[in-house]
Amino acid sequence: MTTAAVPSAKPYRWWHSRAVRRFCRHKLALTGMAMITLLTLACIIGPHVLPYDMLYIDLRARFSPPMTGDHYLGTDPLGRDIAARLLNAGRISLLVGFSAMLLSTLMGALVGVIAGYRGGLVGAALMRFTDAFLAFPSIFLVLALAALLKPTPEMITIIIALTHWMEVARIVEAEVRSLREREFVQAGRMLGLSSSHIMFREVLPNAMGPIIVAASLTVARAILLEAYVSFLGYGIQPPLPSWGNMLNGAQQYLAQAPWLAIVPGVTITIAVTSFNFIGDGLRDALDVRSDHM
Amino acid sequence: MTDKKHGITRRGAMQMLGASALLAPNLLGKPAFAQTPPEAPAGRIIVGMSQESTVFNPLMVKIEVDDSVHFSLFDALFRVTPEGEIVPNLATEVPTQDNGGISADGLNWTIKLRDDVKWHDGEPFTAEDVKFTLELILNPDFRSWRTIGHNLLSDIEVVSPTEITWKMAKPFAPYLNFLTETFIVPKHAFDGVEDPNAAPFNSAPIGTGAFKWGSRTAGDNVTVVANPGYHGDGPYVEELVFKYIPDLTVLYTQFKSGDIDLTGRQYITPDNYAEAQTLSDREIVLVPVSSVESIYLNQEKPQFKDPVVRKALYHAVDKASIIDALYYGLPLPSETFMPQASYYYNAELPEHVFDLDAANKMLDDAGWAKGGDGIREKDGVRLSFANSTTSGNHLREQTQQFLQQTFKEIGVEMTIENLPAAVIWGEFWGQSQFDSVIVGINFLIGADPDVTNRFHSDAIAAQGGRGSNNSQYSNPRVDELLIEGAETFDAERRREIYREVQAIIREDLPFLPLFQNRSVVGWKEGIEGVEFNANTRTESWHAAAWYWAQ
Amino acid sequence: MPAFLLNRLWQSLVLLVIVSIIGFTVLNLIPGGPLAQFALDPGMTQDDLDRLARQMGLDRPLPVQYLDWAGKMLVGDWGNSFRDGAPVLDVIGRHIFATFLLMGSSTALSIAIGTWIGIRGATHRYSGFDYTATIGAMIALSIPTFWFGLVGIYIFSLKLGWLPAGNMYTIGDGSVLNYLHHLILPSIVLSLVNVAIWSRYMRSATLDVINQDFVKTARAKGLTERRVLMKHVVGNALLPMITLAGMQLPGILGGALVTETVFTWPGMGRLFLDSLGYSDYPVIMGLLMFSAILVILGNLLADIVVALVDPRIRLG
Repeated sequence: MTTAAVPSAKPYRWWHSRAVRRFCRHKLALTGMAMITLLTLACIIGPHVLPYDMLYIDLRARFSPPMTGDHYLGTDPLGRDIAARLLNAGRISLLVGFSAMLLSTLMGALVGVIAGYRGGLVGAALMRFTDAFLAFPSIFLVLALAALLKPTPEMITIIIALTHWMEVARIVEAEVRSLREREFVQAGRMLGLSSSHIMFREVLPNAMGPIIVAASLTVARAILLEAYVSFLGYGIQPPLPSWGNMLNGAQQYLAQAPWLAIVPGVTITIAVTSFNFIGDGLRDALDVRSDHM
Repeated sequence: MTDKKHGITRRGAMQMLGASALLAPNLLGKPAFAQTPPEAPAGRIIVGMSQESTVFNPLMVKIEVDDSVHFSLFDALFRVTPEGEIVPNLATEVPTQDNGGISADGLNWTIKLRDDVKWHDGEPFTAEDVKFTLELILNPDFRSWRTIGHNLLSDIEVVSPTEITWKMAKPFAPYLNFLTETFIVPKHAFDGVEDPNAAPFNSAPIGTGAFKWGSRTAGDNVTVVANPGYHGDGPYVEELVFKYIPDLTVLYTQFKSGDIDLTGRQYITPDNYAEAQTLSDREIVLVPVSSVESIYLNQEKPQFKDPVVRKALYHAVDKASIIDALYYGLPLPSETFMPQASYYYNAELPEHVFDLDAANKMLDDAGWAKGGDGIREKDGVRLSFANSTTSGNHLREQTQQFLQQTFKEIGVEMTIENLPAAVIWGEFWGQSQFDSVIVGINFLIGADPDVTNRFHSDAIAAQGGRGSNNSQYSNPRVDELLIEGAETFDAERRREIYREVQAIIREDLPFLPLFQNRSVVGWKEGIEGVEFNANTRTESWHAAAWYWAQ
Repeated sequence: MPAFLLNRLWQSLVLLVIVSIIGFTVLNLIPGGPLAQFALDPGMTQDDLDRLARQMGLDRPLPVQYLDWAGKMLVGDWGNSFRDGAPVLDVIGRHIFATFLLMGSSTALSIAIGTWIGIRGATHRYSGFDYTATIGAMIALSIPTFWFGLVGIYIFSLKLGWLPAGNMYTIGDGSVLNYLHHLILPSIVLSLVNVAIWSRYMRSATLDVINQDFVKTARAKGLTERRVLMKHVVGNALLPMITLAGMQLPGILGGALVTETVFTWPGMGRLFLDSLGYSDYPVIMGLLMFSAILVILGNLLADIVVALVDPRIRLG
């Protein structure tokens, strides 16, 4: 805290240190961080340590229950090791979750900033477009797009991003609209800065709080959505495992091999819960009021 | 689904009896005393089906489960028996060249009809209805199901209320079998109807069948009720309910709990077969279906042009493991498109051998050398291809992943690119855009062995043809045989023809045959008269004979 | 107010047009189509498939097909299902009961439980209960619904045999009890997320009200804490919840889809998935428009309620 009174064209990142401290006091958020870190590490290291390859098929060992020999989490209908598949699937699911978050946040921020800063006809048109996307049940768009595009992990990421940018767009648009008239933006204008400079260097950082919160929740939602879509058979295709497609078919073998459903389901729940905890912590730390929890 | 043909020989019939004798042990559990059907229709039978029946005009474009309802409500001129024999239904005799029903050149057909049949609304059935039916199918504005065979007709004439004649553009032996699936609809139901696609009849059908239209709760069930005035034997139950249960696990659960009396299409899943057999008060039988599961190879893709590749791939298919482990040992391994109970089945085809060494050697000898990544290559063609099937079909997805592993061992890379049903069977399949596809196809119509539509080189849609030769298979000798077969009415001669066709196709391998599936069908003990017919697409092809034992 | 409504109506129409264009385009871009399901039929030829496409008007250019559809839509003709030929509104109508039954019971359940948890959490802020509820809500929001359904089926249907694994009723038994029996498991599963949402909202709404003057006055007047709670706090806190209910209306289609699939519930979600499987364009478009209209109505309702409750917000 030095001479804070000097007006600056730069947004003051006063929340930086305080936010971090607040976040660190948030026990749930820390728990979430710890769990995600552990899970990520397990997914990175695990496949190298486990005795089985995720693609190794052994029909004689099909439907082995957990803790059979070296199959710590049992095997699937093709006798493949579920632990190996689960951790490899984690790489894909987490990556899809993160990339979808980045992509959708980027799209949302872009649309939001342009709509909010420009206002007028362009802004109205962009926001009506956003509303139209919001009026779709997202599962429809996702399923339709998954049928249209080859459901590789990249495509699923794009599809999820395409259907989840609207919330960020709305948040940013509202934020930008209210910031537009504030002094430092006006000052920037008077200094003759270009509007794209003002938009992206001045205005956007000030809307960062809500964006970060929305983004952390988007990761959670993306992981869930990947699971839904793959469960319905429209998602990532075998033999590549994802947490979602490991559940695809689990219903059929529910009586015979319940671990097929339980193992990936619990993992998804842990991952998504962790991200939601983190989101909650970020919201408190960044002091964001949101209509959603 | 299908097989055989009219004029079956005694030997063929014996062969068929042999096939049904295999089923006999399952039937021995019944009480030794003979059961007789009740005097008057009594009770209700609920059939569970995993798809919803929604089309009730039997001539309109429809799916298998619609057939269940159609067979109960309507009659065709003929019926095909489980043994593949064609017997009269609304007709009084089956026309042949011997009895003069079909002229010596095969072009003029005369059909004699029953005079004692009434529509459900009391109107008499006449030759006018038959003429109307055939003309409606060819009405260019009417959404008919398939028109193959019918499109050869001309000069349909009503000679008398009980006799009708027509001419055909060319001799076409399979037509008799087509007519077993061509249900006759009442002309008077369409009087004054402008658009037959939207006729009131389509949602309140009137037939001549053993059951009358009852009611429909969309998304749930279709109920038909006994027709006391039925011209044949039966019906013996008052009410038949076709219940839609969109999930096979639930279908089985409801069968176990007794909520449904008989499992219809898609039946009990293979993984539940063992448990189903232990259920008390339930009959469980394995019923061979006519559809043959195979890996279709697109013959125009450079990877598959070399016959050595196709043969090597076939050697690398561990069929026994797929059948025994993944499909619980239910399907019958197959070498051909022809169902094994068929009179035309060629049992002397070379038997498939799973032999990775032989496959590797064949490819080595043919000059397909392994590249740095372990994948074979020759003349710039890499032995790498995609395999597709309907996404969400778990057993096929497991098969694919299993194949991937054995193919890799012979230096062939197979990737998996599955698509939703409405996508894969569109132009991707129709215009042969695939590399390879795992597919279950019923190649026959009724019991007729004609496969011109699937294997004649004029039937390649991707090359401007008009049929469904989706593997783009072309062999001049097969073309020749197929043409001859379709024009031949003599069953013995046709048998020779189609056995040769099977032998050539087994050699050429436009598809790698996997197996002929068997469905696990179950019903409550106490239901009698259930008989299966692989020559139809439904378990309910003759529900008129079903009854509850007293 | 009328001007506001008119303006909103106009905006809504524009929105519907955009939604329908996007939906129609995406749908038709998907390769394959409604005739794919017949391609494997014995004896089916490309000729027949082409003929059917022509008869159904599927061979026309996309814009023509869209205008045809939109034109009919304007005069209230939603078209006929490819699959069973029935008018789309009839088809939707047949599935609406099942969905509303499920949504209704699960909403009732979540409001009851969610309100209780929310108020208790607010009145016992930072208690063990409050923490448990907070964490519980967050976990509930993180469980994949369909997976929760599977676990429910495994425990209550397969292992204990207490509840049916699916379907809305047993054939031949249309009794209310039978429906209720089938309703229990899917309702609970579907409520999971909603209880979490409701309890969170209720908690913060109650906290907002609890410290306001009129509540303090009521307390000062010597009313018991319980009466204060019931009369003033709950009443006032519930108002904004109406908004929330309005906002949730659109979730009907998407929200119930997976649950309906797992429990083979014959509702609109299931219809949507089936129709997508058959490429039954008219029904899919119908469902899309239906749900878009619900979204718009839900938002409108929410705005109006907010305006009525808080006169400071000017409409228009």
